[in-house]
Amino acid sequence: MPVISLEAITKVYKLGDNQVDALRGVSLDIDAGEFVSIVGPSGSGKSTMMHILGCLDRPTDGHYLLNGKDVSALSRDALAEIRNRQIGFVFQGFNLLPRTTALENVEVPLLYSRPILPAAERRARAMAALEMVGLGNRADHHPNQLSGGQQQRVAIARALVNQPSLILADEPTGNLDTKTSIDVMRTLQELREKQGITIVLITHEADIAAYGTRIIAVRDGLILSDKANAPRPALEDEVAPVPMAAVN
Amino acid sequence: MFALMPVNIRLAVRSLNRNRMRSLLTMLGIIIGVAAVLTMVALGTGARGSVEGEVRSAGTNLIFVRAGNYTRGGESVGIAAGLGAAHTLTYADAQAIAAQVPGITAVSPGLSRRTSVVSGASRAFAPVDGIAAAYAKAYTWNIRPGHMLADGSSEAVIGRTLADNLFGKGFDPTGKPITVRDAAYTIVGVTDDTSDEHNEMLFVPWRKLQAGEGIDYLDYIVIAAEKAGEASRIADDVKTLLRQRHGLASAANGQGYISQQGGGAGRPDDFTVETQAAKALTQGLYTPAAAFALANLPKLDEVTLSEMADTLDRASDTMTALLASIAGVSLIVGGIGIMNIMLVSVTERTREIGLRVATGARSLDVALQFLIEAITLSVVGGVVGLMLGFVTARLIGWALDWPVTVSAQSMALAIGIAAAVGLVFGSYPARRASLLDPIDALRTE
Repeated sequence: MPVISLEAITKVYKLGDNQVDALRGVSLDIDAGEFVSIVGPSGSGKSTMMHILGCLDRPTDGHYLLNGKDVSALSRDALAEIRNRQIGFVFQGFNLLPRTTALENVEVPLLYSRPILPAAERRARAMAALEMVGLGNRADHHPNQLSGGQQQRVAIARALVNQPSLILADEPTGNLDTKTSIDVMRTLQELREKQGITIVLITHEADIAAYGTRIIAVRDGLILSDKANAPRPALEDEVAPVPMAAVN
Repeated sequence: MFALMPVNIRLAVRSLNRNRMRSLLTMLGIIIGVAAVLTMVALGTGARGSVEGEVRSAGTNLIFVRAGNYTRGGESVGIAAGLGAAHTLTYADAQAIAAQVPGITAVSPGLSRRTSVVSGASRAFAPVDGIAAAYAKAYTWNIRPGHMLADGSSEAVIGRTLADNLFGKGFDPTGKPITVRDAAYTIVGVTDDTSDEHNEMLFVPWRKLQAGEGIDYLDYIVIAAEKAGEASRIADDVKTLLRQRHGLASAANGQGYISQQGGGAGRPDDFTVETQAAKALTQGLYTPAAAFALANLPKLDEVTLSEMADTLDRASDTMTALLASIAGVSLIVGGIGIMNIMLVSVTERTREIGLRVATGARSLDVALQFLIEAITLSVVGGVVGLMLGFVTARLIGWALDWPVTVSAQSMALAIGIAAAVGLVFGSYPARRASLLDPIDALRTE
């Protein structure tokens, strides 16, 4: 059974009298353990796809089966529960809470798990997630005391903390320099390899998409191409020379 | 939903702490409002408490019958007799009152004198009253050391202050002889009454005082009502009874005199009935002024302590209304301030809300977070207001000489009102936050 199964998904936005067809019938299966990169220029519909995959939005038509369950028509709160249990998000802008420790940031999804976990249990699980991304020794740092790469790894720990079957990463390296980008991509690759977590990555950069095991190109609300890919290893010595000023 | 309360409260405190100045300014309305509420309640209950205290300290509600009456000088057709100078009250009157007026617990005849009292080498000039044993019951006296004098005996009870003057401070004078106008008595007890008046007096059995002077009248009769609220009714009954007994009840004598007391036709009273309230009112007034007051305020003797309480209540009602409007206005303004700042906060933290919703927060979770933040803001304001109100109440109490009581209930009320303001004015921003679209919220910069 695929983790994700999209069946003829369409999404129509109404902007005044204009009708925008963001997705025009997308069908797609993603199996457990895949690292899928979705690439496309802005306006291609990849963000809309990401919102629907992430249960942040509902399709206008079609069906979305997540772990076999149709989530296309669930209520707002039911979708919140699905997001909490099954999906981890990694955003371009990290979206960490300011003036809040790394540990407390990682704890956030656990606050909304039902039944409610005791505070000690929340703490222990957040700590374990932080250690998984190699930031156990930064637990009490605030985001402004961490580098960009560290912040994004805290965000990955937050995405991991509820043991989701799917991590959705929306331009996770968009705010990072090349070296840090590679660090983050390696972290994501390791999650797939060691824990079998399915990863869907949205990006407009071809060299970032190349870290995936499968690359799906999207244009004008339709899938343009869908190819298996030999993932590019995230090795530091492969870093292309970059100007000194850009090095973190 | 409540299991996250500690987390939410911690979040709220942190968020308010982050903008300390802003939080303080926002709380100002609540602070003033709560201070006004507390002051209002403190002054209101204080006034009520002091009246109740007076009623309680009076022990029983006493009624005084005095011989004679105030009259309006030349207009009076009856004999113009000054208070206490008439010889119209008798022991038979006291007995009749005790036998015929219901609701009475004690009746004591009384004679008032000021004279020298001598015990051994000590001598003093003091008020001496002839009374019955029931007097102690009427005034709920504490007699220590010793016991109350017995009717028809030669025993005397001495006031604490007078005893101190005669024998030295703290001396136990029981058993000491004391002479009043050549009559010998033995001190059997010391009254430790709360009133200074009694502490400076000597009390002897009324019969022996009467016998010593060869008279058969009384100066006054003290009556104690069983229930404080019945003093007026008893005063009326006593008046009717005494008018009958003194032959004043006839309405057919055609003199056209309108009694200033009771308003009925007939000859004027040759006695005066006062409740404790009327006595308190005229105390310290010069006789003509008291006469004027009593003559121009018909049925003044029916003024009871509860009516005095009503008067004080009316005064405190005025102050309550004033403070209530201050409280109302500042609580509304404070509430709007909280609503405003919470709306700002929701806008500022749109991304945070988006993140929380994306990671699984339900609408209620978000609403609750902001609602608790609003309530925390208003309750902290409430606590500050409580302290301010405490000081204000004391200051007003001190400046206006007004009794002030700050009770636990009034503090709870003030905090409750503050929390309610936070709840009411925080719910709109909380609802706004809970309805944010997570996609838009995450996109916000």
